[in-house]
Amino acid sequence: MSRDRYLFGGLILAFVALNGVLLGSGRLPVNWTGFGIIVAAGLTLLLYSFLYKDNPLFKFAEHIYVGTAAAYVFGQYWFGGLFGMVIEPVFMKEDIQAYDKWLLLIPTLLGALMLTRFSRRWAWVSRISFAFYVGVGAGLTIPRYISSFVLQQIEPTLRPLSLTMEGFDVLVILVGVVSVLVYFFFSVEHTGVVGGVSKVGIYFLMVAFGASFGYTIMARLSLLIGRVSFLLEEWLRIPLTL
Amino acid sequence: MIFLRRTFPLILAFVVGVIGILVFYVPHSVAQALERDLAKWFMIIAAFAYFLGLYSLMTLHWTRVRARQPGWGYSLVAYLSFAVMVVFIVYNDGHGPFHAQAEAGGYQWLYLNVYVPCTSSMFSILAFFIASAAYRTFRARSPEAALLLLAGLIVMLGRVPIGAYISDVIPDAAQWLMAVPNMAAKRGILLGVSLGAIATSLRIIFGIERAYLGGGEE
Amino acid sequence: MIERLMNLDRRIIFLFVFAGVAVPLLMDFSFPIKPTDNVRAVYQQIEHVAAQKDGKVLISFSYGGGAAAELQPMARALLRHLFAREVEIVAISLWPDAVGLAQAALKGMADEAGRKYGTDYALMGFKPGNSVVILGMGQDFRGTFPTDNFGASTDTLAVTANVQSLADFDFVIDLAAGESIDHFWIPYGQERFKFPLAGGCTAVMAPDLFPFIQSGQLIGMIGGLAGAAEYETLIGHADKATSGMRPQSVTHIIIIAFIVLANVTFFLSRRRSANTTSHQDLA
Repeated sequence: MSRDRYLFGGLILAFVALNGVLLGSGRLPVNWTGFGIIVAAGLTLLLYSFLYKDNPLFKFAEHIYVGTAAAYVFGQYWFGGLFGMVIEPVFMKEDIQAYDKWLLLIPTLLGALMLTRFSRRWAWVSRISFAFYVGVGAGLTIPRYISSFVLQQIEPTLRPLSLTMEGFDVLVILVGVVSVLVYFFFSVEHTGVVGGVSKVGIYFLMVAFGASFGYTIMARLSLLIGRVSFLLEEWLRIPLTL
Repeated sequence: MIFLRRTFPLILAFVVGVIGILVFYVPHSVAQALERDLAKWFMIIAAFAYFLGLYSLMTLHWTRVRARQPGWGYSLVAYLSFAVMVVFIVYNDGHGPFHAQAEAGGYQWLYLNVYVPCTSSMFSILAFFIASAAYRTFRARSPEAALLLLAGLIVMLGRVPIGAYISDVIPDAAQWLMAVPNMAAKRGILLGVSLGAIATSLRIIFGIERAYLGGGEE
Repeated sequence: MIERLMNLDRRIIFLFVFAGVAVPLLMDFSFPIKPTDNVRAVYQQIEHVAAQKDGKVLISFSYGGGAAAELQPMARALLRHLFAREVEIVAISLWPDAVGLAQAALKGMADEAGRKYGTDYALMGFKPGNSVVILGMGQDFRGTFPTDNFGASTDTLAVTANVQSLADFDFVIDLAAGESIDHFWIPYGQERFKFPLAGGCTAVMAPDLFPFIQSGQLIGMIGGLAGAAEYETLIGHADKATSGMRPQSVTHIIIIAFIVLANVTFFLSRRRSANTTSHQDLA
């Protein structure tokens, strides 16, 4: 335990010293922008300390993140949501008809009733809000999903076949879609012909999952590249070539 | 009372659900106005839905602090960070909370120098773990696993410039893999998931699925 | 030796990955970047919009800090192109944590191109509800966004003064870290109003969007940092995405090498235990 304490203590001192050098040499500006870069770099390194092992410094940075994130999103829901859609039009705008203003109070009431969920005695009142919310969501979903995800996806699957490369691709797509659908159809036992088709579906799924894996690795590495280039270019002021 | 507690919400879900379906098919201006108003109401209620999650989060941390549970100090840090940010929201660069969001100020500063770096760092740590996990578990134990591995390797090489540098065949193979077999499998999954979502939505509208009502006595 | 390789300390892998990212960033070499058809389609659509008079594009920012490393370079490249071609831009956010990033990208690229807020571009801000925001904009853009993010009325901004609905946009691009392209923009927007829609997404989401490209519901897609680098190549302005391709290439090779090593040690270990078992059987 004391070895880790010396290690982390030493790293913190090195971080402070390095920032002193960067500020003193003028590489980082002595203003809120420079201070912001130092804070950002510090939090990044604290969070990366988890790679060594879970430690109090990581947990400290993690909880700063939790609090700040929750509050930032709260701010957006306030400015864009409650203030922008209810308080400003109802109480602060004069060019809106009284009828329209009063109409806005209905969803406001429904939204406020949602919060009764936390009261044991009045929780049943929140059911009205949730019923409206979920009911509207379900109703809006059905026709749009049928149109966009079923009909408009089936049509391009059933294109004419031909003895060309495009025709071969169309055949592979048709076989792939049908076999994957058969694989996910669990009401029929996967034996015989159904089992054979389902096996083909598994191979298509393996290709898709392999492709997803490759893309996921690419995505995660891109995030790391972003952070490292911030540390090198914006914090340490090492110019990176394009 | 049973009517208000159980029956009325189910009737309400049915009515608004059917309206939501019908407005898609009815081009009349009244139906379109109804769709517009439903959307606006839904947006306002969605704003309140966030506060449910926020309340749960803050209660969790407050309980830890009050009961002095292990790690309560970190929960206090979370609360303090939240409070500092809220101060800047309320201040709003001098305009106060009853004004549109200011262009600059402490709120933006904390966002760009605390929130974004923290989120980016948390997600970027995954790069290390995915590499480590790939080394430990990505073994071609079966023909299916070998196919998965091969597809992954082709895509990993094909999507970066070094793949094209090695051979033009690699990016073309990667592109074909994505556009044909991957696309076919994803379409199959999409069709299945969509049909499931449609079925679940119908069950909600007809009152068969009632899990969303939870909370309170019957 | 095989056992040690199979149980390699993960911190060694971490070091290799970090070195694979940091060292290429500090070096100066590059591989040619060849734009794919999906990215080229987005570029060509913007060129097509630019060729019309008073072209207007809606960009939806639906990502947060966790995807900023991939999508912010993409946003910058798109905005650079749009500003250079004098296309008007209206930006909205479906994610609450996208507003600050949208603001930073718009301001940075507008200042670079000398474009003016309100006349050439506007940021409308965030509204909750995802799908219903799109539904609302589809019918009544001003009703959904009566003011911009900073309180100015939509009627007073030149860029939004004539916008009534989504149909008034010549092109819509959603920059998404989640499922907003396929679960919200396509069924609730493009399906009804048939505007040209393209997606800029994280590499994680990219494989899921191919069915929509094949069906024509999306006209193109920019996937991940590699897609952003391809777009920078098309507009002839290398930036962070292009420089990111060096470490991306090197770390991909490193990870492939580790995976190959893992499989070689796995098969060697399996063969060794099969030989050991057969020797024991003979004994």
